[in-house]
Amino acid sequence: MTLEAAKLAAANNLWGAILPELMLAGVALLLLALEILLPRRQHAVLADLAGAGILGTLLGLCFNWDSGMLGSETFGGLLYHSTSGQLLRAFFLIAAFLTCVIARLTLARQKMPRVEFYHLLLICTAAMMLLAQTNHLLMLFVTLETLTIALYVLVSYHRTSPASLEAGLKYVLMGALSSGLLLFGITLLYGVAGNPSLAGHAARPFHYADLAAFLTANPNHFLASLGIVLVLAGVAFKIGAFPFQIWVPDVYQGAPTPVTAFLAVASKAAGFAVLLGLCGPGALFSSYAWLTTPVLTAMAAASLLFGNLAALTQHNVKRLLGLSGVSHAGFLLLGVVAAGATPMALGAIYFYLFAYLLAAFAVFGVMAHVAGPDDADQELDHYAGLAKESPFLAGVLTVGLGSLAGIPPLAGFMGKLFIFLAAFQAGARAMLAVAIVGVVVSIYYYFGWIRAAYFETWTLPADAAAGPTRPARTPVGLLAGVTLGVLALASVVIGFYPGPLGHWLAMR
Amino acid sequence: MGELTFNLLAWFTLLSAAGVVINRNAVNAALCLLLCLTGVAGLFVVLEAYLLAFVLLLVYAGAVVALFLFIVMLLDTSGAPRSLPRRLPLIARVLAGGLVASGVLSFSARVKLPVSEAVAAAPGVGAALKPYAYQLFTTYLLPVQILGFLLLAAMLGVIVLSKKFEGLEDIK
Repeated sequence: MTLEAAKLAAANNLWGAILPELMLAGVALLLLALEILLPRRQHAVLADLAGAGILGTLLGLCFNWDSGMLGSETFGGLLYHSTSGQLLRAFFLIAAFLTCVIARLTLARQKMPRVEFYHLLLICTAAMMLLAQTNHLLMLFVTLETLTIALYVLVSYHRTSPASLEAGLKYVLMGALSSGLLLFGITLLYGVAGNPSLAGHAARPFHYADLAAFLTANPNHFLASLGIVLVLAGVAFKIGAFPFQIWVPDVYQGAPTPVTAFLAVASKAAGFAVLLGLCGPGALFSSYAWLTTPVLTAMAAASLLFGNLAALTQHNVKRLLGLSGVSHAGFLLLGVVAAGATPMALGAIYFYLFAYLLAAFAVFGVMAHVAGPDDADQELDHYAGLAKESPFLAGVLTVGLGSLAGIPPLAGFMGKLFIFLAAFQAGARAMLAVAIVGVVVSIYYYFGWIRAAYFETWTLPADAAAGPTRPARTPVGLLAGVTLGVLALASVVIGFYPGPLGHWLAMR
Repeated sequence: MGELTFNLLAWFTLLSAAGVVINRNAVNAALCLLLCLTGVAGLFVVLEAYLLAFVLLLVYAGAVVALFLFIVMLLDTSGAPRSLPRRLPLIARVLAGGLVASGVLSFSARVKLPVSEAVAAAPGVGAALKPYAYQLFTTYLLPVQILGFLLLAAMLGVIVLSKKFEGLEDIK
């Protein structure tokens, strides 16, 4: 190795470009070190440290928003820094912080180690942030596997609960299958694009720009289209879109509540970050739009119908949220389909993601207060009489569910409206009809939940001697109360004044 | 000569892979997996990808299958009693098999394999190792570092899921 080569390698690896991710990784390692050094009585500090680390990273990211790296590639083309990447970085950091807030509530009821939970959460967040900026199929796979393996552990974290272990096992099996599909697709693309006997073969077949140039030169290659379909199937597992949603209800129910929230919001957004990098306007697969557009359209329609219809019959609120999450994936897929035809769809997708983040975490925060020690057992009946016992929680729940359902003055309504406008501009009329049917159906089950909180009273079961089977509610603490209040307020304010956020997102 | 070796190894791999699925005895299935991996390693050697062949033999055939065997023997799994499939699963199986068969047929009908060109003399065994390692620690330094965190997360997962935790009551 010569000195020049070493210099070149050093110039390629600009670690400063991923400072936020390095900070998270550093805090994660610090947590493990402090767990050994500190006496056990002071371990509660570590949860605060994890939250503070995430907030500090978020602040640092916001202050260095327009750093010189934007619009350039680093690490020899492994990463590409863009404003949408910055946006998703902030998104994942916010989601991770809110997960920490919920985790403080639910972990306190379990005799489980804490530090490892926060460590894995930080690693998973850092991997998602890198995933949002990846510009290379190898990097895509490595970051996706890192976050998925951290999530396998987090899903089965309540190992004393059979439901959590079952969820973990199902997630491992399904995740392994999806990774296999994704990897097979990547291999086919790599093999085809690197083949010297084909026109326009790529020098670096993993690299997005090189691969896109090859795909443009060969717009009808059978093996390449097979690879693209397999890659899309692997990504569809992550977002829980229709034919690949079978893991969703069981895993959402069995996972600890904060992990369910993180899966529902951050993991889904990570899947969409990948999908936008692959199928967005001018992205990797844009020369295969003849293939990806019908596939994604069919997936969107099926997810919308299946998610909403399946959620109708659920009594467990975690399963309900999981299946309704499938329909939210359908709405977002509709946005991705529209993004090929109209530029506003991209902003609409990000707006929808942020509205979904606010609403979903508000609902999960309330769920963490209502749930008992058995995290998997959260029935709709447990919410009876919530409005009388805790008007604050019931109010936050109503705002969150209303926003998820898309009720007018709330942020979720504006999100759906922007997606519909984008779909209308893209001329997807039939899809609009399907989506509107989906919205109408979803109002039924979301409002069933609100009705339970406001209009039903809790009656003791017939064998009252056995005692009430409903878990006691956790009193609202200061941090959780403020967080929930801010989330609900933000949903309302953004619903009334979507202009600034919508404009800002559309600029990206 | 090359074609004959390829065909022999490919059929060997396919048959032993079928053996993994069909065998009802878990130990036999694991041993069939070992044979299957050996066949794939042979295919890699035919393709002159010596490094991949060695890694496959060392890591998968050597370590992973041995681990499988350990666990299978520890669990003492006697196969579940054979039951006749009911009608609906049977129809589903036939359908799935038909789909796979039609997929393979369409694949072999539509795919055009490139005409092999004269390839430059292949590097000797082990010659590819140096540039490989060099790439790993220059171009792909970031993914290698991330994999370190992946392994750490996996290790922590094993600890969390298997260790006995006592005296956690005093943490609030």
